Amino acid sequence: MDMKTYSAGEINVLEITGRFDASTVQPIATWLEQTTSTPGARVLVNLTDTTFVDSTALATLVQALKRCQQMQGDLYLCGMRHPVHMIFELTRLDKAFSIFSDKERALQAFAK
Amino acid sequence: MTLRSPEIVRLDLPARYVYLHLVSESLADMLHLAEGVADLETLIYKVQLATHEVCTNIIHHAYGSFDRGRIVIEMILDVEKRLLQIDLYDTGASFDLASVPIPDLDQVRVHGYGLFLIRQLMDTVTYTAAPDRNHWRLTKSFCARRCQTI
Repeated sequence: MDMKTYSAGEINVLEITGRFDASTVQPIATWLEQTTSTPGARVLVNLTDTTFVDSTALATLVQALKRCQQMQGDLYLCGMRHPVHMIFELTRLDKAFSIFSDKERALQAFAK
Repeated sequence: MTLRSPEIVRLDLPARYVYLHLVSESLADMLHLAEGVADLETLIYKVQLATHEVCTNIIHHAYGSFDRGRIVIEMILDVEKRLLQIDLYDTGASFDLASVPIPDLDQVRVHGYGLFLIRQLMDTVTYTAAPDRNHWRLTKSFCARRCQTI
């Protein structure tokens, strides 16, 4: 797993390449905890190159979303491959998250 | 290549998360041997994720802090029957699968998706706790491209 983080204006972007699962979760969880603990944080997790998401990854994202919402921030997801999106649908987490087809659309949504 | 007899792959791994990608890769390689499978990418993801979730359950719950446990995984692909069977064995603590509640998906929850996903993604899931070892069996049938569902 490779993770890349950067800022796009006021938005903190995390891009995950490869597997996002129990064996790779720690640095992602640490970054999300630090970033979403800031009041009003705006966070985008780009899953375009994420090949595998397990229940540990789902738990990490849900924790980050809840923390972000408590701090009056926003956390969006984008770029899910079809099988990954299927898992969000099965667990109905597609209703909990704001999910965009690509990074550009997600960044536009933050701007509104 | 046409498989005339079931393809069998066995893995005997230390119960550590770092090795679980080997299970996923083996399943993908096996299923690529089955020709003309409908929506192969989704089928592979379903069996990879269900098997991975069983393994993480074994590592986290069955073995817990015991770091010398092992997981034995036997994957059998029967192309003629269009069936994949995955047997997993561990010697950790057992549990009652039937007693695990189905999560309320109307509530956004942090934990509890693992067993739910295993049950949803596979056709059959059985768990047997014996004195010498615990045994999971997962099965998944698959269709040719002309078939609409998997």
